[in-house]
Amino acid sequence: MSIQEKRLYEKDTMSAEERLEKVIRLECPDRVPAALFIYYYAPFHVGIRTGDFMKNHDVYFNAIKQVYKDIGPWDIFYNGDSFSKIMYSFAAMMQALWPGIDLPGDVMGQTKEVQYMDFDDYEWIMKSGRFFNDLRFRARMMPRFCNEVKGYGLLRLMPTFLMEISRMVRLWRKDFKWFKEQGAAILMGSVAEMPFDTFSQARNIIQFSMDILKHQETVRNASVRLSKNFADTMVAVSRLLGVPRVQLFCHRTSNSFISPRQFESIAYPSLEMTVNRIIDCGMTPALHCDGDWLKNLKTLRRLPAKKVIIEFDGFTDMFRAKQEIGDRMCIYGDVPAEMLALGSPGEVEEYCHRLIEEVGAGGGFILASGCEVPYNAKPENLRAVVQSAVKYGYYV
Amino acid sequence: MVYDVSDGLTRFTKDFLAFNMDSIEEGAERLIRSGLDTKELLSAAQKCIEDVGRKFENGEYYLPELVVSGEIFIKVSNVIKRHTNPANETKKIGTIVLGTPQGDIHCLGKDIFGVLAEANGFLVHNMGVDVPPSKFVEKLEETGASVLGLSALLTTTYDPIREIVLQLESKGLRQKTFIIVGGAATTKGMVNKLGINAQTWDAYEGLRIIQSLIRDTEDAS
Repeated sequence: MSIQEKRLYEKDTMSAEERLEKVIRLECPDRVPAALFIYYYAPFHVGIRTGDFMKNHDVYFNAIKQVYKDIGPWDIFYNGDSFSKIMYSFAAMMQALWPGIDLPGDVMGQTKEVQYMDFDDYEWIMKSGRFFNDLRFRARMMPRFCNEVKGYGLLRLMPTFLMEISRMVRLWRKDFKWFKEQGAAILMGSVAEMPFDTFSQARNIIQFSMDILKHQETVRNASVRLSKNFADTMVAVSRLLGVPRVQLFCHRTSNSFISPRQFESIAYPSLEMTVNRIIDCGMTPALHCDGDWLKNLKTLRRLPAKKVIIEFDGFTDMFRAKQEIGDRMCIYGDVPAEMLALGSPGEVEEYCHRLIEEVGAGGGFILASGCEVPYNAKPENLRAVVQSAVKYGYYV
Repeated sequence: MVYDVSDGLTRFTKDFLAFNMDSIEEGAERLIRSGLDTKELLSAAQKCIEDVGRKFENGEYYLPELVVSGEIFIKVSNVIKRHTNPANETKKIGTIVLGTPQGDIHCLGKDIFGVLAEANGFLVHNMGVDVPPSKFVEKLEETGASVLGLSALLTTTYDPIREIVLQLESKGLRQKTFIIVGGAATTKGMVNKLGINAQTWDAYEGLRIIQSLIRDTEDAS
């Protein structure tokens, strides 16, 4: 049996990759697939310093493998390793505080919201031409908030990016190979913050709120302007990694921040352009939708059906989301961090069972942690998530 | 041309509700210099904040409107403070100690809540982020505050919250301190698990909970 055909559990009739592709197309697989985002949890599970985990790829991957062996197997590897502050900053476009560098070596990494983008930068985006404009925008911003490249001009920054990206591709390919050998599918080959959400973080919440209220067209046009190059870069990196999926962070597009009307008129045009471009390139976009998205779902119905994964983090009502958009998108999530940290295995199992029965009805569902597994999650709760997919998740 | 205070106040209200942040300070200064009582200006600003709050609760407004109206209120408050003798300050309806516990550096939700609480007549001691449990307890002892508001975007805050509860219990302060938590890492389900009193994801809901607590306390006394 080849790696691609490997079955994780005895009753399985599909590989994890087949199962994942089936649910993306909203078809019924043999059972509900499961995923856990264990990046922040892993060092605490194995008892190593977070500073070592985040800076040394071998330390990182040994910890990830250990968690997978202790808790798994599960279907989908959510690859969240950034392994360098530069790459983390490039993808998240926020000031990263790293254990062992900016924080004590045994605590969780965090991000800090600092304003690094001026209003005039919107104009720069509109005037600077479309050639690699998202990359050039990131290169223009990063020296303003990332200490590791402070003062770098474009000529010095670009070779640094290229070196970091090629290192990432090499290491991630190695990681993916191991997971594929275990029979798991890989969630995505690239991940980054969407242009609209990047502006929100870059301007800081007060200035961006003013932009939303007073300069809607400026924000919308600048987001749209960057979308094509943003999508092309994501697709190119995913192709290098051999994974036909791309993850898009939309941290600030939810109704926890903006109204459905503001979403539709300001944020959605660039989101739609990005998603369509990725689909046209033959890939699946996974929208990482932190916050409450319920009122935005009506607008999201305009995106192509059976081509998109939508990931929720515990804020969006999954059961209503199934009714609102379950016939258009594959729903991913959403065992909340609080339940994983403070709940009991019985509580987790009960919630997972309900998700499987209701959100998983007819297919199109991935049982997963809502965003990341918290560092203080109980291992028995994570086992309850994985085991629920096996205990209740078979369709036949 | 003679400046008409009544017209000026109407314009101030209009600017506030249209979120014209740039012109608000100048308007507030001019009103006070033209003889408007600072209490009247504060009352006008509070009515504006209430109006935004109603629209937020009705689902007409979202975070951008809340954030900007909060910033405008801060600007108006600063103008009022410059022109007010501390001895004549309006009596506060309650005192809140507010902060993000140790292990978390996020401040957005906490700061929005702090401004809203101040706008609604509370004295707020905002202690910032990454605050150790003992500092919260010291502040509660020092100020006699009856409400502790904790913000949590990360689950790293759970142990510090537990520690705060324990320290308050050991000092005999737990019964007289109402602990409310808010933020992405919180749920209603954690109220009993962490031994706190209330949870919210919504700054206005949090405010209503505390206002009702104050009313109940007053009724009881």
